[in-house]
Amino acid sequence: MSHLETQNLTYVYGEGTPFKITALDNVNIDIPKGEFVAIIGHTGSGKSTLVQHLNGLLKPTDGKIFLDGENIWQSKSKIFDTRFRVGLCFQYPEYQLFEETVYKDIAFGPTNMGLSKAEIDERVRNAAKYVGIPNDMLEKSPFDLSGGEKRRVAIAGVISMEPEILILDEPTSGLDPMGREHILALIKNYREQTGKTVIIVSHSMDDVARFATKVIVMNSSKVEMSGTVDEVFEKASRLREIGLSVPQITEIFIKLREKGYPVSEKIYTVEQGYLELKKLFEGRGIS
Amino acid sequence: MIKDITIGQYFPFNSVIHRLDPRTKLLFTIVFIVTVFLANNFVSLFFCMLLSAAVIGLSKIPVKTVMKGLKPILLIIVITSILQIAYVDSGIVLVDEWKIKITSGGILTAVFMTLRISLLIVMSTMLTYTTSPTSLTNGLDRMFAPLKKLGIDFHTVTMIMTIALRFIPTLIEEVDKIMSAQKSRGASFDQGNLMKRAKALIPLFIPLLFNSIRRAYELANAMTCRCYNGGKGKTTMNALKFSLRDYMSILVMAFLIGGIIVLNIFCGEYNAEFTFNLAV
Repeated sequence: MSHLETQNLTYVYGEGTPFKITALDNVNIDIPKGEFVAIIGHTGSGKSTLVQHLNGLLKPTDGKIFLDGENIWQSKSKIFDTRFRVGLCFQYPEYQLFEETVYKDIAFGPTNMGLSKAEIDERVRNAAKYVGIPNDMLEKSPFDLSGGEKRRVAIAGVISMEPEILILDEPTSGLDPMGREHILALIKNYREQTGKTVIIVSHSMDDVARFATKVIVMNSSKVEMSGTVDEVFEKASRLREIGLSVPQITEIFIKLREKGYPVSEKIYTVEQGYLELKKLFEGRGIS
Repeated sequence: MIKDITIGQYFPFNSVIHRLDPRTKLLFTIVFIVTVFLANNFVSLFFCMLLSAAVIGLSKIPVKTVMKGLKPILLIIVITSILQIAYVDSGIVLVDEWKIKITSGGILTAVFMTLRISLLIVMSTMLTYTTSPTSLTNGLDRMFAPLKKLGIDFHTVTMIMTIALRFIPTLIEEVDKIMSAQKSRGASFDQGNLMKRAKALIPLFIPLLFNSIRRAYELANAMTCRCYNGGKGKTTMNALKFSLRDYMSILVMAFLIGGIIVLNIFCGEYNAEFTFNLAV
């Protein structure tokens, strides 16, 4: 069943001025419950504008957004409600921390929801656990933490609202490889434990291939293609045309095939690649 | 909301006014403001209006855009007008009922003040409409350079102004981003009473302040890396030079001051009764 859906979503920046830009043009997407969706696209393709519509931050110029079959712009209270049900974590979220302590910052969302103190406490501790923030860090000032720690606190601030859908806009940008792995692992872990829908906007095809169950490709304000990882990365040449790429490992296997090795081109992760090569070696009697 | 403010905006057209030396335009604006205050009768004021109309015409900026600049001060104009009408008691009594007394003198003074304020605002907005912030500060820098001999380093002031202007759009963008992020966590900036609204701004201003300080350090480092050491021995890529049109403008300024003085003497000090009789 469709969980979150957009119908003919169109958004125009600066309507009625000479600087008018169509950021989204007739976008139809359909996100089923429990999926791990990756939205990929070139800079300026409308990815960030799209995700800001999904929790009702931006009001569409035209078209509708449905959450569980209900139009999110039905009423003002509905919109407020949607913001809690669809948690959006912006790019570089660490620059939005403001409270005296990490605990209070994570509690900001649940407090706005009007929950009881006990409920808030439980949610904050739960969220902290998901992102790996130890208890003693909760009483520290968020401004004293390292970049990676701040990022995790900011993500916890969204998770603590216990949204049905978690959206993360480029959660790994600007982090070192270890920090990236850490964030990706915690997102994966969060999804496995809660079974909730996760949407990430990403630039890294390798990460997308490893984690996503569904991929949406945006190109110049439109949905270029969408489908499973295999369905999307199959079209390597089209992806290159719109300024994207395929995972590095896929690149290698395409080259190998060009050189005449009998390997599949549909290799998207290192694990798959390892198995494919093993098969090739075994077939030739090398172990 | 923030995007509606037009003061300080720049409209890049290619016109004689745009090409004028920023120093000329600065001087012209100052001279104009002084003359508008000197003008003490409707004829002199009309003369100033003609001149500003000529400037707007030459600048190719649509009149509608210029008038939009008056919007923020509409309230001030309305309040001053009401006060003038209420307090000035001269000329013919038009309405005298209950506690309200309106005289011709009051109305004319109100009109006079409105015209005066509008002229001041229009010409100062014209300065920023036709001069890019960089060339404006560049002009200020050169204009006040002689102050250095008195021990006042005006270069620092202009550098601060340039940086401040440069970061306005950045800050607006940042406010937008932080607001969206906090809204995503259920914050609302437009609900509740004044106290609640003021409190709602904390999650906006703390990150904004923090980021500004961080950015200031980064900028200072970047400037130091490029050997910035204040204005000492600094030259500009596009050195300012007076051309014919600048000298012409100075002539116009002299004509303006002269004209106003002559008109002031010739038409006499603004006199509500006299003007009203003239009009009737």
